[in-house]
Amino acid sequence: MSTLSILIFLPIIAAIFLFFVRINIQIVKVIYMLVTSIILYVSLKLYVDFDPNAPMQFVEYKVWIYEYGINYFVGVDGVSLGIVMMNAILMPLVAVALYKQRDKHGYWIHLLFVQGGIMGAVLSLDLMLFYLFWEVMLLPIFFMIGLFGFGRKNFVTMKFNMYTILGSLMMLISILYIAVQYKEQFGVYSFSLYDLKNITLSSTQSILVFSGFMLAFAIKIPIFPFHTWLSETYRSAPTGAVIVMSALMAKLGTYAIWRFLFTLFNETSHAVAPYFIGLGLFGLIFFGISAMNQTHLKKMFALSSASHLSLIVVGFFIYDVYGLVGSSYLMVAHAISSAALFLMVGMLFERTKTHYIASLGGIAKVAPRFALFFAFFALSIVGVPLTAGFVAEVLIILGAFNYNIYIGFITATTILIAMLFMFKMISKVLFGEPNEVTKNFQDLRLHELFALVPLALLVLAMGIFPNYFIKNIEPTAQFYILEKEVPKNDK
Amino acid sequence: MTNELIALLVPALLLFSAIFILLYGLSSSYTKQKGYTITLITLFLSFILSVSTITEKHSIDVLPDIFNSMLVYDTFSATFISLFLFGGFLTLAIAKSFIDKTTYFTHESFVLLLFSLFGMVILSMAKELLTAFIALEIASMSVYVLVGLNKNSLKASEAFFKYLLLGSFSASFYLLGMMLIYAQAKSTNLDAIAEYILHTELHSQLLIVAGSLLIMITIMFKIASVPFGAWVIDVYEGASLPITAYMAGVFKIAVFAFALRVFLLDYITFESIYDPLIIGGAVVTMIGGSLLAIIQTSVKKMLAASSVVHSGYLLVALASVEVNNQDGAHAIMFYLFAYFISAIGAFGVLSYISKGGDVLITYDDLNGLGKDKPLIAASLSIFMLSLAGFPSTIGFIGKFYIFTSAIETGYTSLAVFGALSAFVSIYYYFKVIVHLYFKESVHLNVDYGYKVSLAFIIISAFIVLWGGVGTSLLFDIPGINELNKLTQHSIESLGL
Repeated sequence: MSTLSILIFLPIIAAIFLFFVRINIQIVKVIYMLVTSIILYVSLKLYVDFDPNAPMQFVEYKVWIYEYGINYFVGVDGVSLGIVMMNAILMPLVAVALYKQRDKHGYWIHLLFVQGGIMGAVLSLDLMLFYLFWEVMLLPIFFMIGLFGFGRKNFVTMKFNMYTILGSLMMLISILYIAVQYKEQFGVYSFSLYDLKNITLSSTQSILVFSGFMLAFAIKIPIFPFHTWLSETYRSAPTGAVIVMSALMAKLGTYAIWRFLFTLFNETSHAVAPYFIGLGLFGLIFFGISAMNQTHLKKMFALSSASHLSLIVVGFFIYDVYGLVGSSYLMVAHAISSAALFLMVGMLFERTKTHYIASLGGIAKVAPRFALFFAFFALSIVGVPLTAGFVAEVLIILGAFNYNIYIGFITATTILIAMLFMFKMISKVLFGEPNEVTKNFQDLRLHELFALVPLALLVLAMGIFPNYFIKNIEPTAQFYILEKEVPKNDK
Repeated sequence: MTNELIALLVPALLLFSAIFILLYGLSSSYTKQKGYTITLITLFLSFILSVSTITEKHSIDVLPDIFNSMLVYDTFSATFISLFLFGGFLTLAIAKSFIDKTTYFTHESFVLLLFSLFGMVILSMAKELLTAFIALEIASMSVYVLVGLNKNSLKASEAFFKYLLLGSFSASFYLLGMMLIYAQAKSTNLDAIAEYILHTELHSQLLIVAGSLLIMITIMFKIASVPFGAWVIDVYEGASLPITAYMAGVFKIAVFAFALRVFLLDYITFESIYDPLIIGGAVVTMIGGSLLAIIQTSVKKMLAASSVVHSGYLLVALASVEVNNQDGAHAIMFYLFAYFISAIGAFGVLSYISKGGDVLITYDDLNGLGKDKPLIAASLSIFMLSLAGFPSTIGFIGKFYIFTSAIETGYTSLAVFGALSAFVSIYYYFKVIVHLYFKESVHLNVDYGYKVSLAFIIISAFIVLWGGVGTSLLFDIPGINELNKLTQHSIESLGL
């Protein structure tokens, strides 16, 4: 088996294996660590071997359903590499941070399963294969919320599931539609991304098919107004699931816009870009303001996540090297920071049994290390200089100014909205006098530090030496811009 | 062995075995166990026989001198026959515990099962309307009685009576339709009718159009499509679980086998006339079935109602069949495989956990099964995912083919509608999973025993998964591609 197949199938096979053998939970955790470490090692090797200047690498191609031209077709480029790395890095660290609390087999099995599913979806270059993984990775999250969630978990997980599947089904019809169009124009079925981009569609067809895809992605990200599942789901989901959803799955939605929509419907995407930039900016503000009013920590971070994802969408639709690189960079940066923050919220809940901002306070006095990391990650989300978020946001703003000076101006100012709610939250949670709930707050334990320190270092490294990381993304973006000959908007 | 011999041997084996059990059942040395074993062995042997002929494309008239081209044994019929026999075998194998723990599975029940299978086998070989009618009635009559097997249950008796009455009523439409066709085409042989249709002006064959419509009504009744499927909930509810599985999984497929043959051979020319009707039927069937399925509180009734929705998908594919494009027919066959194995599995799990009780299994009865019996719960979940059309299961590939063929024919909005009804179906199928895993347990660690039944459930679950992702490139087990090829051979062997 070659590199990418190992990344996709090793976790899935391990998960299936663990389902069938009922062994001691300690051994399950050991196997989980082992598998995710192997994945991390393989991904690091992939990162080192990755050639920034080649378009699509490590391609694997095997016939799957030949009658319909559906193939096992995977490959990696600069943008997908970022998500692969995040997926590989976060999964073992989640376990390091949480291994004491979670003593259920299912928790770890589902996490392994979702890791494989996300790898598959990121690496797929065949639309049916992508659809398969896109749906399959939903199942573990559905189960995790239902099995280990809080509150009205059954209702919430069902709602989340159905909401997402509605989008996916519309995407399925769109995929089938373009495949049939391809057959009519070229005589054979194919679901390969590179074949399908050659089809010609009328503008109406193109808009409709685009909408089908976009619906699925918009729900997953979520873009305003498809966010109504968001805060309840994040609130009910256990820490592991929240991290996967906010750090990886949501990013997958934005990634898919770039990978599939921009490749398949370049002109349409271009034509509708202003609407999505508008929608993204509105979402940025809307989610930001909603986040400000939240009293529940997880809901607040959910909305803050959505707010940043809207920014990523804006960056993509700006159609500019800066925008593309900035958004790709922000995907990675935000994945690390939000994963770390949700981890810390999980630790917070485990210690205080509350998620409400109002009942917390004064943590900085009793747990300085916790406060330091918490504040650091919160600030890195906001995009304070020296953190990864700063680089990404600057790039997106540059792209936005390139696109249109007003859009640039609006983007630059609205990003500040994150400052408002983050600072407000930090001051309420960390500072002030310790109260009943927080006075016995235990500082970070060793294993928790082990999980958080690498993430913090990564955020700093990405903030201080961005070139080292961007060099892998930029050629892909350049290549894409050149290939598509996107006209520069120098208004 | 030649194909002709097999074509004779399979029904003969079923028939003789049925008659043998009928006589042997009166002897004092008969036990339920023996009857069960004989039936299983018969089914297994005839399955092996018929499955050996599906690998290649072939088509022969069975004893043309005697039967006068009434029966044809081609890959199409061989495939379906294998499917029925496999379905019958699976149903019985999974229902072992159910049969052991109830008193009403007398020797007649095995006889009736074999008779009904005999009828279906003949039905799938029939190339002539009257033969098909007789075969259909043999199968139906046996199934009517099987529904009312539990004489002590009022519900079963009600279901039996309802089904008998409505079924016989609908059969009369078939007779009338056949008569009209005969009046004009002067033949009941499908080939002869096709010949006549081809060489006559469309507007001068009103009788054939009308007659075919009447036959279609009977078919619609048997596959429980709205508005002819009002019987389905009550009958599926009243029948005992193995019989419900048998009806949903096997009998429905038999009717579709015949419908497909008639449609491809004869009706295809009237496609422009019938398509609006079929599309309308498909839409109301999907709406009606979905509505029915949502409101059910018992899993058995939900599955019954959702089988109506699946008929709707099949009608979508039927509408997409065109004169020079048989992709819709392939889709139907593949979907029938998919639905067959998932439905038998799902009902099988229910019959396995009901342990022969007369209870309706409600959603709450499944609570906590995931914790106590992970294998059963996982299998049931897989069947539910497959019925819902979730990727990585065979049900998804089936829906994929149906929607693709619909879009190819230009019925994109119909495909969207199908997708929407699949979306609704997520609700009631996932509800089962929610109850299996997320609700507190009510089971006090019951031991269900019957490891063999469990093994067959797990095998079915594996087939469902393998049919969704499998490829012969891995492990050299026939997968999606081979099933595709099989459907192609089958449709081609019809000699269109």
